[in-house]
Amino acid sequence: MNRLILVMASRWMRLVLVLFIVLSLQTTVFAQLRPFGVAAQVVLLFVVCVGANYGVSVGALAGLIAGLMYDFVLTTPVGLGSLVLGLAGATAGLLLYFFHNPTWWMRLVAITIASALGEIYFPLAQAMVGLEGWLQLRLIKVTAVVVVVNLVLAPLVLVITRWTLSERRSTT
Amino acid sequence: MAAASTTRRRAIILLALTSIILITLDLQNSSAVSGLRSLFATVFRPIESVARVITRPLENTWHGITNYNSILDENSRLRERVAQQKGATIAAAASVRLSQELLALNGLPTLAGINAVTAQVIGDSPSNFSQTIEINQGSVSGIRVGMPVLNAAGLVGKITKVYADRSVVMLITDPDFALSVKVVNPPRNSTSTTVSLSNPATASPVVPVDSSVAPNAASPTTTTSTTTTTIAGFTPSVTTLPATPTGVSSINIPAADQLAVRETGVIEGRGPSRQPTIRFVDNSLRFGDIQVGVPIVTAGGSRSLAPPDILIGTVARVVERLGSAGPVLEVELVADLSNLSFLRVLLYRPITEKTTP
Repeated sequence: MNRLILVMASRWMRLVLVLFIVLSLQTTVFAQLRPFGVAAQVVLLFVVCVGANYGVSVGALAGLIAGLMYDFVLTTPVGLGSLVLGLAGATAGLLLYFFHNPTWWMRLVAITIASALGEIYFPLAQAMVGLEGWLQLRLIKVTAVVVVVNLVLAPLVLVITRWTLSERRSTT
Repeated sequence: MAAASTTRRRAIILLALTSIILITLDLQNSSAVSGLRSLFATVFRPIESVARVITRPLENTWHGITNYNSILDENSRLRERVAQQKGATIAAAASVRLSQELLALNGLPTLAGINAVTAQVIGDSPSNFSQTIEINQGSVSGIRVGMPVLNAAGLVGKITKVYADRSVVMLITDPDFALSVKVVNPPRNSTSTTVSLSNPATASPVVPVDSSVAPNAASPTTTTSTTTTTIAGFTPSVTTLPATPTGVSSINIPAADQLAVRETGVIEGRGPSRQPTIRFVDNSLRFGDIQVGVPIVTAGGSRSLAPPDILIGTVARVVERLGSAGPVLEVELVADLSNLSFLRVLLYRPITEKTTP
């Protein structure tokens, strides 16, 4: 019983609950507001911010969980988004791996690069499982818009990810 | 710290392996994965509904800012077009009714005989790499996977996922979309033979169409026309003309080589920024050169997911290929996929999928 309470109170459970909210925003408001016909990817941004804040392994784990949840609302094969977002989270963490105390602008650069790569990973993964046809010139426009939107939203999402995955000490 | 790192690493490996297994199962249409999807949808749907209600003002503001001018322009343009189309619509409706009556008389399937469900678009795809939309009708309304979806203009896509009260529609432009279609090429010569009936009381209602009789052998009451049969399996023998109570009437009997020629192919989506293409069109002599602007309709058939003769679009470009591969046709869709609101799902299932009770 104590173990169950510990799990329920853990930061990973908090992550799942916050991801439900992020996912609901992705499927409603961000699926409708499409600058230049491109949907902003807040789930990707969330995962990349976790990677930039907490490093490779936490980024990868958060990406795998978020991707698995995202997969259930997409029409692509379940598990594909999980691997892609896991890789994107790990990429963000890896970009800051060699910096002991990365500054705010370093994190933003890492988020920019990881967002771009994360958006490119998806059609690549689709092509690998036989869902071809998405690797075309439009990918450049999609990546550019996603990067710009992520860059604008990154300061807010960085704060949210920090709150979500922070370790809380028990008061008792 | 080291223990936490090891646990995390194990969790990553476990999740990655689970993802790979799920991909494999889902690509083989496993019912277990469908069950998981439904379960997740049950949990997630209330949260999404709340988010939709909360964020609707934001969406409306965004659309108001970004689309205001274009909507004003479109509104005035559409008013003008509505005025132009009013007359044409009445004539077209009469033609459609006549066509449906003729098809029904001959026992041929028509779209009017297929039940349909009207649905509203409630969401777009959250991903940039799938061309899908969500509609507010599901299995409760009789919708099943594979059913064709239309708007007022023509075919829009097909149902790919069905839940109790909503469904996911894959649009024609999705690279995974494929459907058997017909390209209706007009005849090479546009001339037709006119048969005149000057005295319907004495005229025989049956006009024999005999290929041995020359066209200039026409009598004042009955005319026979020369016909060269080139359509395999079609032998013109007797044409019945309806007797009309009033004076002179005429009917056009096109010769066999002047009938529209249909050739089948497969339409495939290529993403939102490129027009769909049709491949596997037979490069036969009989079919002739495909002209830009000719209509494309669904082919139908016992295995096709869509009934025949739903309008899809017109040929926008013909890309010739060397050898016997046949041309590739680029298609200008009649339906505007960027602006979908109300759709019609045809509750059609091919004969091969219908189960006997």
